[in-house]
Amino acid sequence: MRRSRLRAAALAAVLFLLAACSSTAGVSGADAGAPVSGGSLTWAVETEPITFNPHQYAQAKARLLVWNSFEALLTHDDKGGYLPWLATGYQVAAGGKTYTFKLRTDVTFSDGTRFDAAAVKANIDQILAPGYAPTVAAVQLKNLASVEVVDPATVAFHLTKPDVLLLDFLSSPQGAQVSPKSLKAATNLKAGGPELAGTGPFILDRYTAGQEVHFRRNPAYNWAPANAGHTGPAYLDEITYRFLKESSVRVGALTSGQVQVIEGVPATDQAQITANSGLTLSKGLNSGSAYSYYFNTTHAPFDDVRVRQAFRDALDVDTVLTAVYRGTATRAWSVVGPTSPFYDKSLEGTYGGNAQRANQELDAAGWAQRDAEGYRTRNGQRLTVRLVQSAPFVRDRRDILAQTIQAAVKQSAGIDLKVSVVDQGTATKALTDNQYEVFDNSRADTDAGAALNLLLYSTGAINRTGVKDAALDRLLDAGQATGDAAKRQAAYREIQRRVVGEQALVLPLYAPNDQIAAAKTVGGLSFEPTAGVPNDAYNVWVRK
Amino acid sequence: MTLLVAVLRRAVAGLVVLWAAATAAYLALLAAPGDTVDSIIGDGADTPLIRSQIVREWHLDRPAVVQYLDYLWRAAHGDLGRSYLLQRPVRDVIGEQVWPTLKLALCSALLGVLLALILAVLTRRPWARRVSSTVELVLVSTPPFLIGIVLLSVFSFRLGAFPVSGDRGFAALVLPAVTLALPIAGLLTQVLRDGLDRALEEPFAVTARARGLRESAVLVRHALRHALLPAVTLTGWLFGILLGGAVIIEQVFGRPGLGQVTLSAVTSKDMPVVLAVVVLSAAVYVLLNTAADLANLLVDPRLRRS
Repeated sequence: MRRSRLRAAALAAVLFLLAACSSTAGVSGADAGAPVSGGSLTWAVETEPITFNPHQYAQAKARLLVWNSFEALLTHDDKGGYLPWLATGYQVAAGGKTYTFKLRTDVTFSDGTRFDAAAVKANIDQILAPGYAPTVAAVQLKNLASVEVVDPATVAFHLTKPDVLLLDFLSSPQGAQVSPKSLKAATNLKAGGPELAGTGPFILDRYTAGQEVHFRRNPAYNWAPANAGHTGPAYLDEITYRFLKESSVRVGALTSGQVQVIEGVPATDQAQITANSGLTLSKGLNSGSAYSYYFNTTHAPFDDVRVRQAFRDALDVDTVLTAVYRGTATRAWSVVGPTSPFYDKSLEGTYGGNAQRANQELDAAGWAQRDAEGYRTRNGQRLTVRLVQSAPFVRDRRDILAQTIQAAVKQSAGIDLKVSVVDQGTATKALTDNQYEVFDNSRADTDAGAALNLLLYSTGAINRTGVKDAALDRLLDAGQATGDAAKRQAAYREIQRRVVGEQALVLPLYAPNDQIAAAKTVGGLSFEPTAGVPNDAYNVWVRK
Repeated sequence: MTLLVAVLRRAVAGLVVLWAAATAAYLALLAAPGDTVDSIIGDGADTPLIRSQIVREWHLDRPAVVQYLDYLWRAAHGDLGRSYLLQRPVRDVIGEQVWPTLKLALCSALLGVLLALILAVLTRRPWARRVSSTVELVLVSTPPFLIGIVLLSVFSFRLGAFPVSGDRGFAALVLPAVTLALPIAGLLTQVLRDGLDRALEEPFAVTARARGLRESAVLVRHALRHALLPAVTLTGWLFGILLGGAVIIEQVFGRPGLGQVTLSAVTSKDMPVVLAVVVLSAAVYVLLNTAADLANLLVDPRLRRS
């Protein structure tokens, strides 16, 4: 029965070639010489993770820590595909409803537990346990029916409907494999830390809250994916990540040699790095959705497509980005980030930066009068749109950007953009009560389709435009149902054409990026393929 | 016997203050917009299923009064609950951060008071006073954040004399302690100097001088005692400065401590941690005020007689 099902699935089967090799984009190493083993490194990071349990992962800024000690079944290559990691390959059967993974048989967790199909099942069972990881259960695993241990080296995922995003989940931190023994034994399971054992090239052995986290090399490690840069154990003996929240302090610590690498260098501090001949600066564009303004179409004024178009035309995005980010930001033209294989390049230059057209559109939409302060009005009501930002989640100077946009749209088209930066509770209340017209967001999902499902599906968990479009839902379903890259690309292109082009539901602003600055003695630093965030420390070395 | 009653009365009053602080904080968090589920979800995915699981996990479906009474009951038994955000027992979260903050607070308080005493006594000449009070005014009005960054860039980034971050030995404590001590020293010096000026004009100063005491002895042995009284009363203020300052100093210097815990707990509405911090602060405040009262007894013999 099982054999025949697998054979029948041969059409849809995708089998990995272990030789499939896509090199990691290196950003440092010219001055660091050939890789050397040994030594230690101190890396100052901006964000202290709220949890070290990969299943609970929710901060893209914590991703570089996760992969030091945990690994997933697959990993992303740099072309939108997947490479074997703890799995050696997979087959798709039953019309995309069954994914069967062959697992490596030479892998052990750092606590001595063997990695096998039962371990994979134990991880999924844990994720589905009530109250443990509700977000993962409700989003990434919503189409999962069951997990079947076929034999110790084979595990099958049965789905309720075809869902290629399963592969994205199984290459994500939430899908990382944790030793089943430590899952049972941990006293603070959801917080993670030294209690949880993984299979990664490093072992988390010390965490001082508010200060640093320390990893030591896993000497038994010998199962790096093909794009990791080398094989065998990691180069570094140990690595310390120090939490320094102030960017100027991180930069100062680097320039004075107290740390060798820093992550998170805002535009205002980048000149200090580039002016120093002993340091390098590199940037990686993140995956997922671009940082965009979403228009709330459930009530006036943005229920009128002309007003949405007018808002976009009223704004010269390049000018405001240059003003706020001093030329370090990459303009976005679509809701999908420019590094995604689904990105629709044809949208570039098709809208925006045309104040004259904006004014004509607003006149046509009935917002033809002006009040004493120069804002447009209709039937005595001012053209006011509200953007509510939650203070704990404001980053990348997005509050400053909002103020700049506020000034720009007022000047060019008489639109009153009201920006308020409030606490999380007030922000959530504004969203639930539908007291907003603009919603800002960027998502760091590695598969842009996952972000679009949340943002655009009529029942999406972050659908703030209020769009309920059956055709759009069908397209999103189509993009999720197939593993065929060309079909997926066609579906997501069509979605972007509708959402960004035709319906102007969204105003894409910039593609978020991450920055690494390092002493030139450090080699092997890179950004993770697809995700575009700083890579883990597996391939990093320090010149002696 | 009277002593025992006095101590008991103090203890009961302290407990009432703790209860009031916890209740006030609880009510404030309850009144803040958005409910607990909202703050746990943050800016992530939000579906009914996710919500119901969170509600079940933290027992948020009970009426607020029941949750409050349950909290009090467990707190009275030493169980402060689990952090919504960090998923660890609050006792651990707070426990491991108390010592780094305490170390910082003690060092800065000591340094600040010492500096203030020295400055107030030594800068009696008109020109020294002028220079000193200008500096004090600048220190009091400069945000600690700025002082920290300036000290860091000079002594850590440029001269490499002290490490930038962490709770790693004495050297790492110097810059944060100095940063926090300077504004304290600034204000205390002004208060002390003012007290000294007044005391030196009192008749007893004249009497002391007439007995042939040297001016420095009059200053230190007699006038300083009087000047200390208003300064001791400032202990409560000092505590506020230390706690508030710790939030910023720990952030700038990458130090572990209660300040950082408080900041993240407040911004994410992590109720159990916020409540614990409030109760802890109230407890310390009660202790400090008691200590201040006792210190006043030592400084001022008149109080002992009554």
